[in-house]
Amino acid sequence: MGKPARHLRSLAALMGVALALTTTACGGATDASTMADTVDISGSISGQTINYWSMWKDGEPQQKVIAAAIADFEKETGAKVSVQWQGRSNSEKLVPALNTNNVPDLVDGTLAKLAPVIGETGQASPLTSVYSYKVDDTSISEVIPQKFTSNGAFKGEDGQPWMVPYSVSSDGIWFDAAKHPELKDKPPATWDEFINVLDKLKASGTAPIAADGDIAGYNATWFVTSLLRLKGAGSFKALVEDKSGDAWDAPEVLEAARKVENLVKGGYLNSGYNASKFPAQQQLWANGDAALMLNGSWTPTETGSYAVPGFEYSSFQFPAMSDKPASARVDFIGFAVPAKSKNQVPAQRLAAFMLNSKYQNALGTEAKVLPVRPDAPVAAAVESVKAAIDAAPATHLQNDGVTFPGYMEKVFFPKDDELFLGKSTADEFVGKMKAAQIQYWKDNG
Amino acid sequence: MSLSLKDHRVNRTADRGPESGKPLQHTSRRGSQRGGSSIDVQRKKLLVPFVGPAFVLYTVLFIVPALGAVWISLHKWAGSGPMKFVGLDNYGRIFRDQLFISSFGNTLLLLFVVGAAIFILAFALTLVLRDMAGKKIARNVIFFPHLINALVFGVLAGFIFNPGGMVNSLLAPLGVTDPPKWLAQDNIFPLIMVTLVCTTTGYFTTILMAGVDRIPPYYYEDCALAGATAFQRLRYVILPLTWDVFGTCAVLWTISSVKIFEIVWVFGGSSGAGVPPTQSWTAAVYTYVNAFSGQSTPAYGAATASAVLSLALISVLVVLLRRAMRRDAVEF
Repeated sequence: MGKPARHLRSLAALMGVALALTTTACGGATDASTMADTVDISGSISGQTINYWSMWKDGEPQQKVIAAAIADFEKETGAKVSVQWQGRSNSEKLVPALNTNNVPDLVDGTLAKLAPVIGETGQASPLTSVYSYKVDDTSISEVIPQKFTSNGAFKGEDGQPWMVPYSVSSDGIWFDAAKHPELKDKPPATWDEFINVLDKLKASGTAPIAADGDIAGYNATWFVTSLLRLKGAGSFKALVEDKSGDAWDAPEVLEAARKVENLVKGGYLNSGYNASKFPAQQQLWANGDAALMLNGSWTPTETGSYAVPGFEYSSFQFPAMSDKPASARVDFIGFAVPAKSKNQVPAQRLAAFMLNSKYQNALGTEAKVLPVRPDAPVAAAVESVKAAIDAAPATHLQNDGVTFPGYMEKVFFPKDDELFLGKSTADEFVGKMKAAQIQYWKDNG
Repeated sequence: MSLSLKDHRVNRTADRGPESGKPLQHTSRRGSQRGGSSIDVQRKKLLVPFVGPAFVLYTVLFIVPALGAVWISLHKWAGSGPMKFVGLDNYGRIFRDQLFISSFGNTLLLLFVVGAAIFILAFALTLVLRDMAGKKIARNVIFFPHLINALVFGVLAGFIFNPGGMVNSLLAPLGVTDPPKWLAQDNIFPLIMVTLVCTTTGYFTTILMAGVDRIPPYYYEDCALAGATAFQRLRYVILPLTWDVFGTCAVLWTISSVKIFEIVWVFGGSSGAGVPPTQSWTAAVYTYVNAFSGQSTPAYGAATASAVLSLALISVLVVLLRRAMRRDAVEF
C-alpha cells in the first residue's frame, strides 16, 4: 500500500459524499407513473396559484390572446396564474421536470408533441371533469366537435381524455386566388382533375408545385394523404402497425406510392425542390414563381411577410381518389395537466376557461389561427381551410398519429424522401419499406 | 509485494552507484514512506481541502450523470414514466441498425479525414505565417471563422447554395445552365466537411503557431549556418520541438469531432422544422434524434446507449493517440 492508495481512499470517501448528495437531490424520481383520479373542479379556487408553462413566446399573437384570457380568469376566480412564456421547447423541458416533484400545473402544446411526452407515458391527469364543465352554458364535450374526439385521439391508456384542445391546425393545397381565381371557383375534386390543373399550369409556363424537399415531414404528407384517400383515415397507422410487413403488399399502398411517383416523373414539382433549403421554395411560391403548395394552415402567417403585394390566400383539400370519404387533417393544440401537479382544480379550470367563445373568437380573428370551436369566426386567409374541416365527415392526424419510437425519423422518412426526391420508384419504395418495417418490429416489437 | 519490488530496485541502483553499500540510504527511503517528510505530511493534509471541492463537483456533475447514462442505457424508457430493464438489448439493436453504422461512419470521416485536412493545412499555414509580414493580422483573420456560431454557416449555406442562390447566380453568366444540385441530400455531408475544415483550421493554426513561436531563433540560425533545407529545418527542428503541442491538438480535435452536432442539424432539416437527412447524421445526431426528435416517443435507452458508445470511442481513441504521439518532451 503506497501513497497513491491512501489518496485514493480519501477520494473514494469524497465520492461517497458526492453520490449521497446526488441521490438525495433526485429523491423520489423513479416512482413516476402515478395514476391520478378525476377531480371535482366546480368549487371556489380563490387564492390558489398555478404554474403554467406556455408553448408561446411573449409577443406572439396567440400569446396575447391567452394572456388576456388569464387576466380575466384571475379577476373572475381570484386564482393566480404564474406564467412562463417558454416557447416550443416547453415540451422538451417537461420531460426532465416530470421526473422530479417540481412539475408545472398546466402545459400546452401540439398533440403530436405532448402525446409522446406526457399522454402515452401515463403522466397526465384525466381531464374528464373539464369535458363536462360548462362554458357559455354548454358543456365542453359539446363545444368541441364530435368528429375531433370520436377517434380517441385525446384518450390515454385509462380511457380518459388527458388533453383539452383550444386550437387546431390543418393543411391544404395553397394558391394565390388573385392570380388563379379559377381554382377558387372550381377546385379540383379528384386526382385526375388535379393532374389536369397541373398540366395546364405547366403548359402556361408556371411551375405547378413548390415543395421544400428538405423537410421530410412535408414530403411525407403526399404519400400518407394519398393512402388515406385510398384506404380511409387510420389506414396508414394500421399499415405501420403490421409486424409481418405484409400490409405493404396491398394494392392501395403501391397505388399511393405511384401517385407520388407521377408527380415527380411528370415534372410537376418546381426544379430545384430536391436540392434547396427551407424556406427557399415556399418563398419562391409566395413570390408567385410556382402556383401550388401543399402545406399547413399556418402558411398565411408564415409566408405573409414576404408574399407579393395583393396575394390572396386560398386553399383546396388534397383531392379525393376513391369513393372513401375524404377526411381532413386536424392537428390539435391544447392543454394537459401533469398528474403530479398539486393544483389540479385551478389548472383544469383555466384549461376550460380558454374555450369561452370570447377567447375562441379572439384566436380566430386576432391571432388568425383556427379555434377549436366551430362557431368561432376565422380570418379570411384560413376560411377555405375551416370550410374544408367543417365539411369533412372525419379527421386524421399528421402522419395518421404514428408515434412509435424512431419509426418516422429512421424508417419512413429516409425512404419516403427517396421516393419524393426521385431517387427510387414506387415499386422500390414499397419493397424497401416492407423490409425495413419487418426489421423495425423485430428490433422494437 | 510492491514494497519488496521497490526494495529490490533501490538495492540495485544502490549497488551501481558510487556510494553504494550505505545501508543508511535504504532505511531513510523506507522511513519516508512510513512517516514522510514534513512536506509530504503537509501535502497530504492539504489534499482534501484543495482537491475536495473540485472533486465533489466533478463527481456530481460529470461522473454521476455518466454512470446514470450507463444505467439508463440498460432500459427501455420514454424519459418519464415506467422504466423497463432490457439488459444489453439497446446496444445490440444499435449495432444492428444500419443508420447507427452509417452515422458512426460519418463521425469517423469527420475525425480522420477532416482532422487530417485540418492539420496539414494548419501546419502549412503555420510555416507560411512564421516569416510573413503582418502575421498578427493574418492570424486573427484565419482565427475569426472559429468565433462564429455554426448556426450562421447553416443559414448561409442556404443563401449560397440554394438553386437560386449566390453560386448559381455567379455561374449563370459563365454559361453553366445546369449547375450541380449543391444541397441534394447526398451532397450535404461533404459540404459540412468542407465547412468544418474552413472554420477549424484557424483555431489549430493559432495553437500550433504559439508552439512554433516558442522555438528560440538561434536554432534557425544554426540551420542556416549548417545549410539545412526548409524541409530539414521542419524535420529536425520544428516538428520535434512542437510535438507535444501537436499531440494536445490531436486530442482536442478527437474529443470535439466526436461531439459535432449543431452544424449537421442546421445544414439540413433547417430551423427546427425537421430532422436532417439521414445521409448527414453523425453519432451525436443519432443520439439526439432518438431522445428528442419531437416526432415520436422518445427512446432514452437507445439514445444513451449510443452516447455511451461515443464516450467509449473517445476514450479508446484518446488513449491510442497519446500512445502513438508519446515522445520524450524536448526541453529547451
